[in-house]
Amino acid sequence: MVKKKLFGLMAIIVLSSVLVACSEESGSSDGDENTISVWAMGEKGKKLKKFSKKFEEENPDLKVDVQAIPWDRAHDKLLTAVASGNGPDVVQLGTTWVAEFAEAGALMDLSEYVEDYPSFAKENYFNGSVSTMKYDDQIVGIPWYVDTRVLYYRTDLLKEAGYEEPPKTWKELKDAASKLADRGEEYYGLDIDRNDQITPFIFAWQNGYKANLEENDLNFDSPEFKEAIKYYTSYFEEGIAQAQQGLDIVQAFKKGTKPMFFSGPWMINIINDQAPDLEGKWATAVMPKKVTNTSSMGGANLSVFHNSDNVDGALKFISFMTQVDTQIEWLKASNTLPSRTEAWEKPIMKEDPMYATFGKQLEHTKPGLPTPQFERIAQELLSTIERIVVGGADLEEELKKFNKTAQNLLEE
Amino acid sequence: MNKNQFKNRHPYMFIAPAVILLTVFSIIPILIAFVISFTDLNLKGLADWSTITFIGLENYKELLSDETFLKSVYNTAFYVVIGVPLVIISSLSIALMLNYGSNWLFSTFRAVFYMPSITNIIAVAVIWGYLYNTEYGLFNYLLSLLSVENIPWLQEPTLAKLSLIILAVWKGIGINMIIFLAALQGIPKSYYEAARMDGANRLQVLFHVTLPLLRYATFFVTITTLIGWMQFFEEPFVMTDGGPLNGTLSIALFIYKEGFQFSEFGYAAAGSFVLFIMIIIVTLIQFKFRKSETEY
Repeated sequence: MVKKKLFGLMAIIVLSSVLVACSEESGSSDGDENTISVWAMGEKGKKLKKFSKKFEEENPDLKVDVQAIPWDRAHDKLLTAVASGNGPDVVQLGTTWVAEFAEAGALMDLSEYVEDYPSFAKENYFNGSVSTMKYDDQIVGIPWYVDTRVLYYRTDLLKEAGYEEPPKTWKELKDAASKLADRGEEYYGLDIDRNDQITPFIFAWQNGYKANLEENDLNFDSPEFKEAIKYYTSYFEEGIAQAQQGLDIVQAFKKGTKPMFFSGPWMINIINDQAPDLEGKWATAVMPKKVTNTSSMGGANLSVFHNSDNVDGALKFISFMTQVDTQIEWLKASNTLPSRTEAWEKPIMKEDPMYATFGKQLEHTKPGLPTPQFERIAQELLSTIERIVVGGADLEEELKKFNKTAQNLLEE
Repeated sequence: MNKNQFKNRHPYMFIAPAVILLTVFSIIPILIAFVISFTDLNLKGLADWSTITFIGLENYKELLSDETFLKSVYNTAFYVVIGVPLVIISSLSIALMLNYGSNWLFSTFRAVFYMPSITNIIAVAVIWGYLYNTEYGLFNYLLSLLSVENIPWLQEPTLAKLSLIILAVWKGIGINMIIFLAALQGIPKSYYEAARMDGANRLQVLFHVTLPLLRYATFFVTITTLIGWMQFFEEPFVMTDGGPLNGTLSIALFIYKEGFQFSEFGYAAAGSFVLFIMIIIVTLIQFKFRKSETEY
């Protein structure tokens, strides 16, 4: 009899320990009052772990617990945090996600703290960033680092095609690209990443497209938008850009088969590492211009999670990360561009020609449409473009359909 | 609780852990998903439950008129119809061949065929991504030696589906082969001896002794493979992300995208229930077929 009782007891112990283990894992993020838990994404998250030691030295009573989350799992992880209410104190958010999570009420309104922490003021940041800070008149995030797309090009190959300087207008870009594509069958002029959701919008903005979100009008049926998509798809139709997935862009850039492409600051290091013999043969330039030469405003903001139990610590940490000096240090540690405009006045930013290009481009940028449905709309646009480029569908008709779908999504 | 029931408590105690775990981690989530499928739950609703509204069958109605969903149903049917017989036939033939001997060569090949099924899907995706690449992939290189034009393995909707099936069959053979091998070795030698005495040749032995006696194993493999292929997810998720032109989008991937990419949890839950019902129906049909056959 005793034995049987023991068995039952053991079963209960095993079961309860399993349950405890489960609950422990989900509860690990809320620590004691002196710990600031931070969720940061990707490689930066790993580097931030080391970097935050400096913050701990300045604030000996606080401890920073950084969790690095891979980018492709970040969205899922944030969803679970919203669902369970068990998030970190400080969370890094990609700028295109701000509207989505702000609408869900997952981010704290920081408006009342701006007086105490001057680095939170919107005057410190680029125009393109400022709109990512706000949602419904609340300040929900402070720009941490920025990025934008610029034109990467092979100086030597463009020279051969008769371009001493990078193309400055849409017309020149098309002309240079077609000349480069005419070199042979394997050769292309410009690489456009069809999976990149912001590129079509960049073209549209450059063509003077504007969404009217106040009146719930996305304006996707405007001639400006249509013309931009036509321009974008023409590169594939004329064989100037490769419609199929081909060689990795760095390899193709090295080989010279794809001598121009649009990308962000992270590409500088990748090219330097993977194609060191290209040194001196490539450069970056601001976007070619149609009406404007607008590019995208990307990057990440730091936000405070709505039920953080260490708001003061979180604010201190964000304030530390957005100091001009910290941002310059962070640039050296992680190669991400500072969000503070003041940091761009420093010599290191002005003297390096690569950074200087980005500095110039950052003055003409726009973030993705500030609506929670942006992700969905952008994905729809990419499939629409895929149908036109790969499936050979009619552009007018597809865009009409896309406009309807997008408008429905917005009004839902 | 009366005395008799208390006396008979021990069997319940033994099944209790399994039942409790099943309830907590399977049955309750299924019920919750069922309820969610009648609501418009999205990210906002997740944070603040008061914004959730009950919308009845709206999600299901929308699903049936959603071109993308219908496409994913078609694709899944395509995967199942081609993939399942392929997996069963190839794993069975490999098991039969491996059953002929037991020296080191045979055991090496067992390992070789089993290896893919324990390999991490990400590693598989990277390697097969290289094999399938249109410009520098191994497959196209080999074909170019036979002067065949470059084949866009993953860039043409139907071809991409077939490419994913090839990959999944390669990955799925191992585990089914092991099951068949175990069943083959469970067949008593006396049956074969009797057959040989009656003068049966190899083919006759295969069709009249081996295959009928493998019926249970075949049934098990068919059911598990079928369910597995109806939930086809990993391969399109890591290799093509449903593209090109939604040509490789499976129902499971559709559900994942709606739920976790676009935060439409209600809609995704409805999709998962449609899949759930489809799986139940297919499995019931399988059982029905089995009953009508004679038992050994």
